[in-house]
Amino acid sequence: MTFSEEILMAYADNELDSQTRSAVEAAMATDPDVARRVARHKALRARLRTAFDQIVDEPPPQRLIDAARGVPAVRREGNVIPLRRKAPPRRAWPQWMSLAASLVVGVLIGQALLRTSGAPGPITTRDGKLLANGVLAQALSEQLVSTQKEDLPVRIGVSFKSKDGDYCRTFLLHESTTLAGVACRDNDAWQVQTLAQGEAPAAGGTYRQAGSEMPRSVMQAVEDTIAGEPLDAHAETAARAKNWSSR
Amino acid sequence: MATRDVYRMTNVRGMHASLDRLREQIVELLPRLRRFARTLARDPHDADDLVQMAVERALTRSEQLRPDSRLSSWMFGILRNAWIDETRTRGRRNRVFAPEEMGENVGDAASETHTDVLSVQDAMARLPDEQRIAIGLVLVEGLSYKEAAEIMGVPVGTLTSRLARGRDALASMLADTTGALQ
Repeated sequence: MTFSEEILMAYADNELDSQTRSAVEAAMATDPDVARRVARHKALRARLRTAFDQIVDEPPPQRLIDAARGVPAVRREGNVIPLRRKAPPRRAWPQWMSLAASLVVGVLIGQALLRTSGAPGPITTRDGKLLANGVLAQALSEQLVSTQKEDLPVRIGVSFKSKDGDYCRTFLLHESTTLAGVACRDNDAWQVQTLAQGEAPAAGGTYRQAGSEMPRSVMQAVEDTIAGEPLDAHAETAARAKNWSSR
Repeated sequence: MATRDVYRMTNVRGMHASLDRLREQIVELLPRLRRFARTLARDPHDADDLVQMAVERALTRSEQLRPDSRLSSWMFGILRNAWIDETRTRGRRNRVFAPEEMGENVGDAASETHTDVLSVQDAMARLPDEQRIAIGLVLVEGLSYKEAAEIMGVPVGTLTSRLARGRDALASMLADTTGALQ
């Protein structure tokens, strides 16, 4: 069976009905050309997403917040003391930087994260994919959200099943820098789908604070890829027992 | 008479309360509006101007927001219309995407390592508007084909063909950079 480019594109965009979807998947399993074309559509989608993702993690400029709240723009007139200068308290926007996949390798090597003094780093690359490694891979495979301890280097946020049917988990990693992201099970490995880097810890206390909350780009990625609800403790334990294999 | 005044007053108060709620919901939506605007306008300041314009328009037309429609879709639609109006009136006389200027704007880490490759943003800026909007809504914002088609006011079939053409064009513009990770 042959598929038009539009069908394969719709497959990558999760727009096919289940019957056509299964037909495409059957073809992907037997025809490497179909598999490659689908992978290309998916890769482009991921690349586009990553390229613009860092914008959602930036704090919006005050003038836009003022425009939405209807705060008059008086502050530019020199002799007028702005009366409503103080905006209502907002949630602090932690500074996160989304990493474009093509930059990740360079950034990580730059920070000696790929290999820290002999021990394997938390992220590695294979065939152009970013894979969890070392302490991160171990945490993704073994740590359960319901039972994990407070002081571990990696914290798992949520576990869920993606629209592609794979198990995925969000993580926060505190090492020489703070990394947050989503990793999905890919055969026997964890492929890192979304990655954001937290601001380097400034002084003492800000470290934990900056890393205690998932960045928006990560939450958004979960929202976009999740099928149904996050796994509860029971489902998570069962998934781990199957070694996170969804087949 | 008196009853009527009371009714009107509570009504007005109710409207204020819901407008305040709408304002906060728009504040919450700002990060995504900014991202969508950046898929349309290459220049970050132009993109934020566009968001501001859309926010102001939305607030003056809040009565057009139907209770059953999604605020995000409604706002994306206003933003898209503002962009189209803007590019029409400007007649693109100051194309912020002129390739000569682009070189100067790309002062990020990417250009330090690969000065000659097109960034995703630059490639997007070279697409025709219709394709760029389709790509922005579906691939970047993650909207469904149906939602995106509604925002653009076209049938789903038209949206998918714009999407396919946009993808093709992007893939060929970015072809020489996809090997970066391999």
